[in-house]
Amino acid sequence: MSWQSVCAEEAVREGAPVIVTIGRREVGIIRHGEKLHAVLNFCPHAGAPIARGRVEALVIADEPGSRARVDCEQAVLRCPWHHWEFDLTTGESLCPIKPRIKIFPLKVEEGQVWIDA
Amino acid sequence: MQPLIDCDVHQPNPSPDQWLQYLAEPYRSEFARHGLRSISSGIRCEDGGNRWDLKEERNGLTLNDPGFYSQQLLDAYGHRFALLSGNNSPIAGIPDPDYVAAICSALNDFYVEQWLPQDERFLLAIKIPLQDPQLAVREIERFAGAKQVAAVSFFATANRIAFGERYYWPIYEACQRHNLPLHMHPSTTATIANAAMTPAGQAATYLESHVCMPQFYMAQVASMVLNGVFAKFERLKVMLVEGGVCWLPHLLWRMDAEFKGLRHEAPYLKRMPSEYVREHVRLTTQPIEEPAKTEHLLQMFEMIHADEILMYASDFPHWDFDEPTKLPKALGETTLRRILRDNAAEFLNLPALQSAEPALV
Repeated sequence: MSWQSVCAEEAVREGAPVIVTIGRREVGIIRHGEKLHAVLNFCPHAGAPIARGRVEALVIADEPGSRARVDCEQAVLRCPWHHWEFDLTTGESLCPIKPRIKIFPLKVEEGQVWIDA
Repeated sequence: MQPLIDCDVHQPNPSPDQWLQYLAEPYRSEFARHGLRSISSGIRCEDGGNRWDLKEERNGLTLNDPGFYSQQLLDAYGHRFALLSGNNSPIAGIPDPDYVAAICSALNDFYVEQWLPQDERFLLAIKIPLQDPQLAVREIERFAGAKQVAAVSFFATANRIAFGERYYWPIYEACQRHNLPLHMHPSTTATIANAAMTPAGQAATYLESHVCMPQFYMAQVASMVLNGVFAKFERLKVMLVEGGVCWLPHLLWRMDAEFKGLRHEAPYLKRMPSEYVREHVRLTTQPIEEPAKTEHLLQMFEMIHADEILMYASDFPHWDFDEPTKLPKALGETTLRRILRDNAAEFLNLPALQSAEPALV
């Protein structure tokens, strides 16, 4: 792992991830509001390019029979192929299962995106 | 002979002279004049539904006598308990909730007074009018805590609203509060009231409708799990009777797989769908599937954790009755004991049987 500059911050637009190749791995740089996230472009389910999926707010409900609502603070990345959901901050599945996506540390310095990959 | 628990035994409908005193007016007069209301799909149940060899009198008793059941089933096979589930045809699919509630009450009163005292091994699944959940709850309250009342009967193939819907939740709340499991049983095939008896449409014959019975259970389980019934009612217990067992792995795998991508449509589920089934749902064995190779059945049993979720049922005296020996011996002594006795003892709150008793094979 080492920090490397991958793209300009302004190049990453909502709904339009930047895909970069680092060694033999593809990493998706994804925007959710003001925040950027770096994700290994590989879904643990079926190997789909998950960075091409959708970023959505988390849908939650307190209990059965209560109305569902959204938590806009928590970003969820949904895979483009089978729509599995992963927490974009932690990489964990929203379902109680083990598979998770790989999240890389990311920082922005002087308009440039750096990831530790 | 080993003690076992039989989760599905069909005592007959009472004869009019036995029953009229229990039926409230105005339905008593109606019944005396016209008999029971009925609804028919146009399919004839296999020759009345009973084993042909039980038509004759035995030891001075007939199928209308509780003693016949004690002798020909309980004594013959070593039953410790038999759950009497009666017959759904007088109530399943009948549209008038007040009428159905009166019929349920009369049937329940009759069996509690006339059958249960005849043999302490008899347990009863009471009938409730699914056509009106409030009346259903009232009937549950009437019998909650009654000796030998062990379950609440659901006619599972003649409902017009799927069992996961909130319509039924007052019933589930009452069952949970009184620790009474649900006994889901197909309604008599000849009286299925749905517009479509299978997802494909109307079944043409008894053969076709009987083969397709598991499809009802697949839909009901999916409805209950995915609408959050078991997440809401954490102590609710459901037994699925007479619908086979080998369909279950497919449903569990499919629910889990789909949930991973569509969780947002059931965000109140905190566990995987299959986990709710394993904790809350039990299946009875009869009519057990009959693959050409027994090893295939054993593989299916392993997939569904049969040692936890299967419970023996004979379906006596119906034509497709299964003896306890129908279960493969290759399951092993421990699993057989759990299927034939221990799982039902736990499920029906019969703790006295959970302690060690002789092996069952």
